[in-house]
Amino acid sequence: MNSGFEKRLIVVLLVLSAITITQLGVGSLDGQDALRPNAAITSGAIVIALIKVRIIIREFMEVRHAPVLLCRLTDLWVVFAGVSLLGCYFVGMTFSTAEGLG
Amino acid sequence: MTNVANAQPRSRFVPGQPDMWAFVLFEALVFTAYFIVYIIRRTQSPDLFLESQAHLDLRVGVFNTLVLLASSWSVARCVQAARERSLGAALTNAFLTMLFGFVFLVSKVLEWVTKIEEGFGFTTNEFFSFYYFLTAIHFLHLLIGFVVLAIGAYQLASPARRSQEIIETCATYWHTIDFLWVLIFALLYVMR
Repeated sequence: MNSGFEKRLIVVLLVLSAITITQLGVGSLDGQDALRPNAAITSGAIVIALIKVRIIIREFMEVRHAPVLLCRLTDLWVVFAGVSLLGCYFVGMTFSTAEGLG
Repeated sequence: MTNVANAQPRSRFVPGQPDMWAFVLFEALVFTAYFIVYIIRRTQSPDLFLESQAHLDLRVGVFNTLVLLASSWSVARCVQAARERSLGAALTNAFLTMLFGFVFLVSKVLEWVTKIEEGFGFTTNEFFSFYYFLTAIHFLHLLIGFVVLAIGAYQLASPARRSQEIIETCATYWHTIDFLWVLIFALLYVMR
């Protein structure tokens, strides 16, 4: 097998695995406060997940070699997912906090 | 259809069949809708979701993610090996991918059994309803993925029917299972 491509796939796998193991640490960061909402951990979890998804799409799914339209469509979905998930979380938590205070 | 034997280096190409990419983007949007509903419901009952989430083992989620990432790596190697006409290596990587998928499948079933034995079923509360719904619908995609991989392996097994495009299409489906799980893992196991 093409050794350059082989090395690239291994590097991608190692980077994705390292990021995933980092999430083990991120998920345990708040320790005793794990039962409280944490916007930083949530934002980090979603952003890291979307970075991993984009790496999978670009590298493993070979979208980096695909026509520009497919590159743009996949990137558009990643951005849409990020904005909608983070937006729903922050808007929802704002309403939830306001109801709690009310 | 591109036969492996006739495969030429391509500058810019759609990996696999364009129809599969339409399906991938459709699935991505459907799952995004599920995730949006999950987050909206979660922000309305943050305490319930956090308390329930604490019963999930983050290490199991990390293990499952690593296994699926490895399966994506092996299926990418399968595609590249087929492209280079190393058909033995391609077939080996296709079976390796199935093995990783099977490990994920067993791990997921064991996790479900453990949770049910601990008293956390589909109807326990809203968090566990989402947990079982999202993981089960992903599991269903994984089962379909085995059929898709079997089609890829069948293509690789005989020179007469070998098609690089179909092999790439099968790999594209399998990668979709992987990246959807990456998001499910973040939302069910990590977020607060």
